[in-house]
Amino acid sequence: METRRDVFQAIADPTRREIIDLLAQRPMNLNAIAANFDITRPAISNHIKILNECGIIAIEQVGRERVCKIRPDHLKQVSDWIGIYEDLWVRKIDSFEKYLYQLKSKQKKHGRK
Amino acid sequence: MAENDLAKRTLSLKRTFDAPIELVWEAWTQPEHVAQWWGPKGMVLTVVEHDFKVGGKWKYVMPMPNGEEFISEGQYSEIVNFQKIITSANFRPMTEGVEIRALFEKSGNKTHFTFSVIHPTEEYKRQQEQMGFYNGWGSTFDRLGTFFAALNKKSV
Repeated sequence: METRRDVFQAIADPTRREIIDLLAQRPMNLNAIAANFDITRPAISNHIKILNECGIIAIEQVGRERVCKIRPDHLKQVSDWIGIYEDLWVRKIDSFEKYLYQLKSKQKKHGRK
Repeated sequence: MAENDLAKRTLSLKRTFDAPIELVWEAWTQPEHVAQWWGPKGMVLTVVEHDFKVGGKWKYVMPMPNGEEFISEGQYSEIVNFQKIITSANFRPMTEGVEIRALFEKSGNKTHFTFSVIHPTEEYKRQQEQMGFYNGWGSTFDRLGTFFAALNKKSV
């Protein structure tokens, strides 16, 4: 099976969401990230690897340290989707209502009752 | 008791449309109209299937920003012309196994409309709410929400 690597895969896991949340504050190295969690370092390392593959974070070599930072351009896809999910049903009904009134005025114009 | 339980797992919206019931019904049920309003603004919606009868299936597809598809689909379980539509519904990859009820009531030249989404359990409804059914996925990422707000400001 092909492994999915995109922002939605990245945010599907709660630990990864927390990592994204942390890195949204400031860039951090692996140790600093791991210090926030009770799970093993290799497990954190694996989440970092997935986030990197999903394009959510970039890993930079700074001296002897590997620093992880957010890549806002890719994360923006999620932000755009938050807007879409927001008030999903209210928006749908709003959208319906708007269309309905367009339809109504169109029919009036064409003399249809 | 059962009704009480139903209320707890139902999301309900009521509107009165300033349009005759025939038009409301047409806009809600005809696929060429549905394609115009179902999707978020700017999204191209494809009506894959729209078999408007009891037991008939419907399926609408639209592309997500990541190139995958957002799929809305279901099967009609009850249709009473100009009154009621009940259908099962999945919205993948977000919500699965809900029931949607749309009720229409004529009131002169206006139409009372009640829209309900019934979740299989109270727990699932709560989970959907938390996930952002109402507030967007943003609510699950507090700090990230602030980050996005700053980001969006920057990109304007």
